Amino acid sequence: MNASQFLLFAIGGLANAAYLFIVAAGLSLVFGALRVINMAHGSLYMIAAFVCVVVANTLGATLGFWGGLVAAVLVAGAVGALIEIVVLRRVYRQEHLVQLLGTYALTLIIAGLVRIVFGPDYRTMKAPGLFTGSVQLAGHSYALYSFFMIGAAIVIAAGVYLMLYRTALGRNIRAAVSDPELLNASGINVARLFTTVFVIGAALAALGGVIVAPSQAVGLTMDTDILVLAFAISVIGGLGSIVGSVVGALIVGEVISFGLANSYTNQFALAFVFIIMAVVLVIRPWGLFGAAEQ
Amino acid sequence: MASLVRTPMRWATATAVAVLLVAAACGGTTTSSSGTSFKGTRNIGLDIAITGQSALYGHAISQAVKLAAADLNASGGVAGYKMQADILDDGTDVNKAVENTRQLILQDNAAVLIGQVTSAQCQATSPISKQNKIIFMAATCNSYQLTTEPDLINPYYFSVVPNTYMEGTSAGTLVGKLPSVKNIFIVSPNYLFGRSETSAFVAQLKKSAPDDKIVNPQSTWYVPYPTNPRWDSTIAAIQASNPKPDLIYSNIFAADQENFIKQALAVDPNFFQKYPMTTLSSVDDLNALQSSYPLGMHLYMRAPFFSLTNSKLTAYINHYRATYNGEYPSDWAVMDYDAVMTWAKAANAAGSLDSDKVSKQLAGHTFSSLRGYNFTLRTQDHQANVGETVGTTSNASGSKYPFPTLSPVTNLSGNNIIMPLDLVQELQAGQCEQGGKPTTTDFALCPSWKG
Repeated sequence: MNASQFLLFAIGGLANAAYLFIVAAGLSLVFGALRVINMAHGSLYMIAAFVCVVVANTLGATLGFWGGLVAAVLVAGAVGALIEIVVLRRVYRQEHLVQLLGTYALTLIIAGLVRIVFGPDYRTMKAPGLFTGSVQLAGHSYALYSFFMIGAAIVIAAGVYLMLYRTALGRNIRAAVSDPELLNASGINVARLFTTVFVIGAALAALGGVIVAPSQAVGLTMDTDILVLAFAISVIGGLGSIVGSVVGALIVGEVISFGLANSYTNQFALAFVFIIMAVVLVIRPWGLFGAAEQ
Repeated sequence: MASLVRTPMRWATATAVAVLLVAAACGGTTTSSSGTSFKGTRNIGLDIAITGQSALYGHAISQAVKLAAADLNASGGVAGYKMQADILDDGTDVNKAVENTRQLILQDNAAVLIGQVTSAQCQATSPISKQNKIIFMAATCNSYQLTTEPDLINPYYFSVVPNTYMEGTSAGTLVGKLPSVKNIFIVSPNYLFGRSETSAFVAQLKKSAPDDKIVNPQSTWYVPYPTNPRWDSTIAAIQASNPKPDLIYSNIFAADQENFIKQALAVDPNFFQKYPMTTLSSVDDLNALQSSYPLGMHLYMRAPFFSLTNSKLTAYINHYRATYNGEYPSDWAVMDYDAVMTWAKAANAAGSLDSDKVSKQLAGHTFSSLRGYNFTLRTQDHQANVGETVGTTSNASGSKYPFPTLSPVTNLSGNNIIMPLDLVQELQAGQCEQGGKPTTTDFALCPSWKG
C-alpha cells in the first residue's frame, strides 16, 4: 500500500469514526453521569435520522438539512427528556440489569412507534449543496461530505469538551461522574441535572443520526446497527470519558477501514473491533481513558 | 364498574364465538360478497422482510401476494377455499424467518408458503416445509443450491425465479460481450446467495471472456453480510486497485446497493463512468434512487415490467397501480404474483390443497406467467425455465417513469441459461462433496458456497 492509498483508507476510516464518535460520546456521557447503560441511545439516533429526512425532503436539500438538524435535535431531545423523567428516574437505584432491561424495552417500543409513524420503507435525502461534490487529493477522489462529517465531529468534540470543562453545567456533570452523593448534598438539583445530561446525550445521538442521514439509506435497523459499535467504542475508550470516545471511535473507524482493505483481514474486520474490546476489558476493564469505579 | 366474575351467560357467548371461529378455521362454509360459496378460508403463508436490510423488496412482495389472494377469491378461490394472505415480518433475519415459518405452518395452518427474500433464510426454512409437507414457492430467494444440494433438496420446493446459476451465467455472458472490459473488480455479500451467484458469474466469465482478469484477490470479493452501511473501504479499494478496474461486478442488493451507489457518487459524481458496474437490480432498486440511479450501469434483472411488454402484464400493471396508489410493480411483485397463481393453478388441477397432490400438478407442468412466456417447472430440480433481462440503464423512456430503464435491453430465454440437466444431477448426487468431476468445468461452482 503506497502513501496515497494509505490516505484513501485513512480518510475513509476517519469519516466512519466521525459519526461513530458523535453517537458514542452521548452514550458515554450518559453512562458517566447517570451510571445508566442506555440501550435506547440507538433509537434516538434513528428517530433523528427519520425526522431529518422527512424535514429535508419537505423543505429541499440545503435548507431542509439544516431545518432537519434543528427539528431532529429538538425531537430527540424531547423524547430523551420523556425517557429520563418517565422511565429512568424509576430505575437509577436499581441494579444495572434492571436498567438494561428497561432501556431495551424502550428500544422495542420506539422501533414499533417509528415504524408506525414513518413506515417500514427506507428513506433517503440529499446532502446540503455546500457539501456535495468531491475533492481530489493525491490522485484519488474524496467525498466532500466525508470532510464535513470529520469537521462536524471535531467541532462537536470541542463543544462537548468546552461544555464539560469551561461551564458550570460541565463542572456539575463532572462532579456527578466522580461523586454523585456529594453533589446531592451540595444543594444541586440532581434530578434536573440528570435530565439535562440525558437530553445532551440524546442531542448527540441526534446529531449523529442527522449527519449520517444524507450518506446512507435511513431505515428501521439503524438503531441496533449503531448501538453495537457505539458500545464497543465506549468500552474501548472508557464509559464516561469523552477523550476515550474520540480514541475509541478512531480505533474502530480505522480498524474497520484498513481491516476491510486487506485481503487477509477482510472477513474479520468487524471481529477485530470486538477482539480489541475484549482485550481492553481484560487488561483495563474501565477502558483506555475511563476511571475505575471506586 | 364491570364485574370481573365471568357469568354463565358470558361463558356461553364466548364458547359460541370460539366454536364459530374454530369452524371457520377448519373449513366451515363461507360465502364471499360476490356470492361465491367457499368450503372455508385458508392462508397463503408469507414470511417476508417488511423491515431490515431487504425491506425495500418486502413491501412489493406483500402487496403482490395480497393482490393475488384477492384475485383468486374473485375468481372462485382455490380448490373451493377462500384464500387470505397471512403475512409476518422477519426483519431480514434468519432466526425470525424460521420462527415465523413454524408459526405459519403450525399455528396458522398455511396451505402454501411463499419464500423469503434471502437465500440464507430459505436455506433455513425449506427444511421446515419439507418436514411438514407444505408447498414452498420460491420467487425471490434463488441460490441454485436450494434445489441441488443433497442436504437441501425438498420435494415440496418449487422455484419460479431465475436461480443464481442462471443469473451468474447471464451476467457472465453480458460482461463477456463488453469489448472494453478486461479488468473486473468483484463486490458481493458474504453468504450463500453472494457466493453462489459470484461463483456462477466467474465460471461463465471464464468461458465467455477467458482473457478477462479479476483484479481484487478472492478473499476481498465478499463483504461481510449483514453489511456495514458505510462502504468507504470498498469504494477506496476500487479507487486504489492496480490495475484500474474497467468494471465492477456486484450482486449487492436493496439497502446495500442504495448505500454503495450513494456513497460512491459522493466520492466522485463520475464514479460509475470511471468504473462501470454490472449488478443485480430491480425496479425497487431503480425506484429507490430514481433519477439518482446512475446511467450506463449494466444491469441484470429478474422481471422488470418495462422490458417484458405483453397484454397480461399490462393488465397486471394497471391493476396493481390502481390498487396501490400508482406504484409500479417491482420484479418481486411480478414473480410473487406468478408464484401464487402457479400454485393456485396446480391446486385447482389437483382439486385439493393437499401438498402431495399439488406437487404432482406442479412438477413437470407448464404455466403461463406475467412475464410474457410460459415456463415449465423441471421435474428433476423443480426449477422453472424463467428468463433474465440484461441491459444498460438509460433515459430512453424519457419521463414516462420516475427512474431510468434499460436500453439496449435483451430478454434472455430461460432455456438458454438454465443449469444443464447433467450438472443438476451431478450436484444432486453430491459430486461437489466428492470434489467434482474434473471434466465438468462448471464445478468451479462447487467449493466456495458453504464458506
